[in-house]
Parts: sequence; structure tokens; C-alpha cells
Amino acid sequence: MPETFPVATPIWCPGCGDFGVLAALKKALAELRIPPKDTIIVGGIGCSGHIHNDIQVYGYHSLHGRLLTTATAVKLANPRLTVIAAGGDGDGYAIGGNHFLHALRRNPSIVYLVMNNGTYGLTKGQPSPTAQIGFEGTKEIPFEPVLMALSLRSSTFVARGFSGNQTQLVRLIKEAIEHESQGKGFAFLDVLSPCVTYNDTYAEWRKAVVDLNADPDFDNTNRSKSFQHILETIVSGRIPTGLLYRGEGASFERNVLLPGSEPMALQDISPEKNLESYKKLLRKFA
Amino acid sequence: MTTTLERETRPIQPKRVNEIRVMVGGQGGDGTLTVISLLARCLKLIGLHTYDARNVLSRIRGGHADGVLRGSVNRVLCSGDALDALVAFDEEAVEVGSPLLEADGVVIFDSSRGPLKKQLPPRVQVYQSKLSDLAGTQLKKTLLKNTISFAILSRALGLKQELVERVVKERYQRKGGEVLEGNMAALQIGFRLADEIGVAAHYSMPEGAENDSLQVVGDEAIGIGFIVGGGRFYAGYPITPASEVLDYLSVNLPKFGGAAVQAEDEISAINMAIGAAVAGVRSMTATSGPGQDLMTEGLGQAAEAEIPVVIVDVQRSGPSTGMPTKHEQSDLNHVVFAGHGDFPRLVIAPADVTDCFYLTVDALNLAEKYQMPVFILIDQALAQNSQSVPPFDLSKVRVERGKLLSQTELDSLPVYKRYEFSSDGVSRRTIPGMSGGFSQITGNEHNEWGMVSVNTENREKMMRKRMLKAELAKTEMPRGRFYGSPDAKIGFVSFGSNVGPILEAMDILATKNVPTKFLLVRSLHPLHEDELVQFLDSVDTAFVVECNLSGQLAGLIRREVGFANKIFGINRFDGHSFRPSEIAQRVLEELGPKTGGNSRNA
Repeated sequence: MPETFPVATPIWCPGCGDFGVLAALKKALAELRIPPKDTIIVGGIGCSGHIHNDIQVYGYHSLHGRLLTTATAVKLANPRLTVIAAGGDGDGYAIGGNHFLHALRRNPSIVYLVMNNGTYGLTKGQPSPTAQIGFEGTKEIPFEPVLMALSLRSSTFVARGFSGNQTQLVRLIKEAIEHESQGKGFAFLDVLSPCVTYNDTYAEWRKAVVDLNADPDFDNTNRSKSFQHILETIVSGRIPTGLLYRGEGASFERNVLLPGSEPMALQDISPEKNLESYKKLLRKFA
Repeated sequence: MTTTLERETRPIQPKRVNEIRVMVGGQGGDGTLTVISLLARCLKLIGLHTYDARNVLSRIRGGHADGVLRGSVNRVLCSGDALDALVAFDEEAVEVGSPLLEADGVVIFDSSRGPLKKQLPPRVQVYQSKLSDLAGTQLKKTLLKNTISFAILSRALGLKQELVERVVKERYQRKGGEVLEGNMAALQIGFRLADEIGVAAHYSMPEGAENDSLQVVGDEAIGIGFIVGGGRFYAGYPITPASEVLDYLSVNLPKFGGAAVQAEDEISAINMAIGAAVAGVRSMTATSGPGQDLMTEGLGQAAEAEIPVVIVDVQRSGPSTGMPTKHEQSDLNHVVFAGHGDFPRLVIAPADVTDCFYLTVDALNLAEKYQMPVFILIDQALAQNSQSVPPFDLSKVRVERGKLLSQTELDSLPVYKRYEFSSDGVSRRTIPGMSGGFSQITGNEHNEWGMVSVNTENREKMMRKRMLKAELAKTEMPRGRFYGSPDAKIGFVSFGSNVGPILEAMDILATKNVPTKFLLVRSLHPLHEDELVQFLDSVDTAFVVECNLSGQLAGLIRREVGFANKIFGINRFDGHSFRPSEIAQRVLEELGPKTGGNSRNA
């Protein structure tokens, strides 16, 4: 086997929440025995978007905000791959917000990990769409990604973890990957991942997080009840975490691809292979 | 019968012609283009070649719309200068079409809203009748006026009734039921009406056997070329005049285990194309100017990360929203120069529908061999006007995947680096799923492994590596085409669909003893400087013909090869293609005062 790229050392500041996400992701992939050769991580732009350099799998560093649209196409091209999109909150909820909406609508079987810290770390601490009111003077009400995800009837997997809770995070990532691998659709996992340099929310978040899966009254199979529960939790000043919703719906690749066809990335595209069908295309214009 | 016949019918002898030019005009939604396509089918069945052009507004219904069909014993690449027949569903269509009518032309006018007001030259034959009213009262569907008019038109053109019936039947066979019956009934009403008002056969066209041509528009030819060239993933956002690519591939790609995705915007479209390419699929996106603007960041990404992707830009009138349905060639600068940073790209300019097919296959091969974005630049007229073309030769299609490794090849390597330096700048490529082919693909500057790097020495080597690829790719880029007399001292240089009007302008000029020649450029970036230098060296004056105001092709030529003192621009930017006569006229005007006539060309 050829020698390939040396795994990089993360670029993050000591104590960055993203270390916890990386550790949990590696553990989840190992425990699920996902073959590295069949795994691709599509990274966004920002501190979190370097995560694909730090694991020995295939990696693609997308344009800022475009990881979901790129990852969706990777999945269509070869549904046998485990496709993990990983980026930050500015990448996914600001510049890439439109694609987030449409990924939820399409339901491609990919994992979407958002390392959410409320700030743009690489550009030195501007507020992101999820910044708490008052951070760097922002007066805008924070974007609630899990509520948005729930509000689309097509969403099939909505979860939130906290990089300070490894046990829960590993469990959630594994469930997300399983959702993806089983072709069930878009596995969205927002991970609270504090920026120790510009928006150190560890203490605050540790106090505020609540694992809704521990609440016997919480039903994560009922969209409207889950929505209401989450909204009430947020309004009461707490941060809901856990697997917040799991539903069923046809995946994008199932809706788009011819059933049983060879993944397009692996097809023999030599002209001889399809000559008769190609002739038929021409006859339509004769 | 609510029929009026304004003029006395004269005994008419059918004129023998080798070519026929017809306009059908009315309001959007009148079905004008349906009449054009029915006629195109008839002409093909009697062995003629066709060219049709459309003139529509950016609205679903209403507003003037017309289609022009030219049928000929020869292949034609533009709608020409004049009209033999005009079918007009309203007065406005007569205003638009009549200035182009031959002196002995024919007008079929729907007088449902009153008799024709426009005064036409004395020898123009007008047949008018209340076609809409007739369709409404007899068929309960006013739209069927178009089929009624088609029957009358076919009489005036001297087409056989069986042929016309066959074509209408074939067209509506699949829909069957009321649609088929309604149209067949409308035809009969039309034939009866033609008898009543005494429609004569004004023309007689040579009738041969059906020819084996395909009648295809450029957008569709690109779609076919894409599939045949091994393309399996397409992403696009609806935009005039590129939507036909999306429509064609949405229907046809799934049959080949591929997919055409309608993206949420053009940013998504190009990034999807990139994603599929990263996974190993030949992929493409198509758009027009406004979408091209949005794709610009993705273009640089594909170049920096060395991802093969084909981008089709179908030019329309810009800037901004401009005139969405109208023709222009003003994105040339954009596709050649757009994007921050220095990076390689290829820009191919097909000039006719045949080119659209073969050069799309070439574009896919070039993109994959040189691992970079390749543009196919066409214009509205080429994209949406249908041409008769010889059947595409599938035996000429090659799929060349360059340095895409097989698993066996990969297994034999001691080391695999995605961006390994090499003599031709092209590195070996793996796709996810291959053992031992891990790679990091990134739009950040990177080292050979694909790891982010700002090392100065590496930066310079990587920049040169990428640029080198374009220089080598140039040797495989489509060459220009030469037309005309080698000794001529008056030359044309142009690209895209202008080839049609220029070739006919050359014929007009030849009749006036002005011999000309023509270099049709088909690679816009990199330019083949050698062919331009040779051509420009050999002429006294070069007219650079292009549909934009600022002379973008002329500017590119001056920048790359000079010859500023020989270059004169012939530009049009009113939303329409050139007509042959106007090009000829502009040349004569330009030469007249400078040369004291045409003596130097004699």
C-alpha cells in the first residue's frame, strides 16, 4: 500500500472545543469499523474546517459555506462512501445558510457536524449568527439551528452535542453515522464547541446544557412536541442537547438515482459500453 | 363563413426556389414556435436542411414572439436577410416581419381582431381570415388557429397535403385523444379555408428523400455530447438561455445511472459539480451571465484544487439581468479573466451545433486530462436555434481519463501524493474508495500531499505547476477554421454563431468583387497565437465581428498578438444576431472612404 499524506497536527488553540469533536469523531468511526478508504470528510472554512487534515481518510476542503452542497454531490456520485461534512457555525449558518436549508429539504444521506462556538475565530472574534446577545455588541437574536432543522418536514435526524460531554457526543456521532450509512438521510449534529480565545463559553454552557434524552417526557419521534419542548427549554435559558428528533423519509440519493444502478463514480464510461443507448439518444432528433 | 379576401387573386405560377424563409409571429403563447417546428419537420422529410430562430420575451404569455424558419438545399447557419412568407397572428407581427419580406412575398394574416391595416407593397400577396374566431367557433379552442394557419401556409409553400397531415399526426400521436383530433380537424379546416380564399402555391421546392440530418439546438447538442462523453453528473439552476441543458439532462441522464440536480443557486451548482468530480464522476454545470458571476469563486476552487469540471456559459444580453432572452456575446472577458488570483482555465467556443457536440466531448477529456475547469462558451442564438446537422459520429468519441489511477496502478506506487510535481504539471489522481489513495484536496495553497502550506518555494512551484498545464493543454485545444480566398486582403475574425452570417456576408461581398477570408476562432483561452498571427499578417484589414459593444474579442486579440492598426470592430449589441447583409454593408462602408472604392480588392 502506498504511503499517503501524514496526518496533520490540529491548528486549534489549546483547550479548543474542536479537539473534543475530533476525538469523538475518531472514536465513533473506529467503533463502527467504518473503513477509512470509504470515508470522506468535507471540511468547511474556518478553524473547524481543518478537521479533515487530522484523520487518515479522504479529505476535501470546500469553499466557505459550500461544504453541504459539495458533500451532497459526493454522496450522489458514490452512495457507498461515508460522507461527513464538518464545519463551523459561520460557515454553515451565515454564508452557507441557504445550502443548510436545502440539505434539510433534500435529505441526502450525509453527516453534518457543525462545531458551533458563536464566533469567527480565524478572523479574530466577530459574532456569528449563533452568538449570544451582547457578544461583541451584537443585538441580533441568535439563530437556532436545531429549531430550523425541525421546522422542515423533510428532516430526519436532528441532534445537538457538547464537546465537553464526550460520552454523549460519541453516542450522537455514532447514531448520525449509522443514519448516514443506512441511507436514511441527512444526519444533522450541532456540537457546542467553545472558542477558548474569543468566546469562552465552557462554564456557561456546562451549566446550561440539558440532555433531553434523559427526560422521560421528551419524545424525539414527535416533531411538533419535540419542537415545543426544545423551544421551551431555550426560552427558559437552558440549552437542549441529545438526539432531538429522528424521523423517516426518502433520502435524496434514493429519490434521484436509478434503483440498483452502479454508483456513477464507478461506472465504465467508455463509449463502446453504451453505444446502442447513445444511438437511441440521436434518433430522437432524426 | 367569416372570410374576407382583400385583394384580387392573381394567377400565380409557383416560383422554383432552393431556399424558403418563413416567419410566424404573434403574442407569446400563440403557438408560433409550434408552427415553425411542424414546418421544420416537413422540410426535413422532403430532404431540405433547416435553421430556425426564435425571438421571444422574458414572459410566459403575451408580448411579441416570433420564430423564423429557413429551409434550404444547403446547410444554413443563420436566418438570413429576408422572408418569403409571413404568418401573422396580429398587426404587430406584420410590423416586425414585413420589412424583411421579399417584394413578391406572402402574408397569412389572422383578421379576427380586424382586417390588416398595414399597407404592404403591391406585389405582396395577403391572405387574411379570422383564424382565431374560426378555431374558437368550430373547435372550441382558439389556440388551434396555429394549426389552421399551418395548413394555409403549407399550401402557399406548395407542400403536399399528405406530408402535412403526416407531420401533424406524428407530432400529436403520443398525446392522442382530443389533442390529436383537434389538430387534425384544424388542419382540414385550414385546407378548406385555403381552397375558399384561393391560396395559390407560390413556391416550389425541390423534393427529395428525407435526409439523415439531426435537427438540434446547441444546448441539446451539449447535453448529448456530455452523456456520450461519459458525463454522469450535472447540476444547474434554471436560467435562460441555458435551461435546455438542464431540461435535456434531467430527462436523459437518469437513463444512464447519472443525475441532473436542480440546485438552489449557481453557487451550489458549481460546488455540486466539483463534489461529484472529486468523487470521480465527469461533471458539468451550465448557466448564463448572472449565474456565471455567482460561479466565479467555484471556478478558482476547481483550478486551485485541480478538479476537472466543465462549465457551459450560454451568453445573453448583460450586464445584470439585462435582456434575459436576447442574444449577445459579452461574457468573453468574464470567462477568460474572471476570478481572483492567477490560475489556469480553458475556454472553448463552439460555433455551430456540430461543434457543440464534439467540443463538449473534448472539454470533458481536457478537463480530466489537465485537471482544471474548462469553459464551453456559446451564445443564445447557438444555444436555442435549431440547425440541421449531419448525425454525430459516435465512433469518433474517445473518453480519455488522463492520470486517473486504477487500483492496480495505485498499488504499485511506493508513495501517493495528490499534487505530486511532474514534468507536465499533472499529478496522478485517485478517487475516494480506493485503498491507499488518501488525498487531501483543497483550495488552500498546499504541498504535494494536499496539506495547507505557505512555504515560499512550494508556492512558486505549485503556481508554475498549475499554469504549465494550460500551456500543454493548448496543444490539444480546438484549432480555428479558415474560410474564403487565401489571397484576400480583407479578413474577418470572429467566434460563435457569427459564423453563419459572416459566411453569407462573404458571398455577398464576393458578388461585389470584394474577396474576403475568415478565421473562425474556436479556442479563446489560451488563444492559438500562431493562427491569429499568420492570418492577421496576411490581410490589410481584419474585421472582428462580435455581438458586444466594447469589442471583447478584438481586445483579446490586440492584447495577445497586437495588430491594433489592422483591426476594425463590427459590433452589434441590440439583442439580435447579425444579418449577413449588414456585415457586408459595414465592410463596404469601411472600405469605401479609405480606399476610394473597392479597387485594391480587385
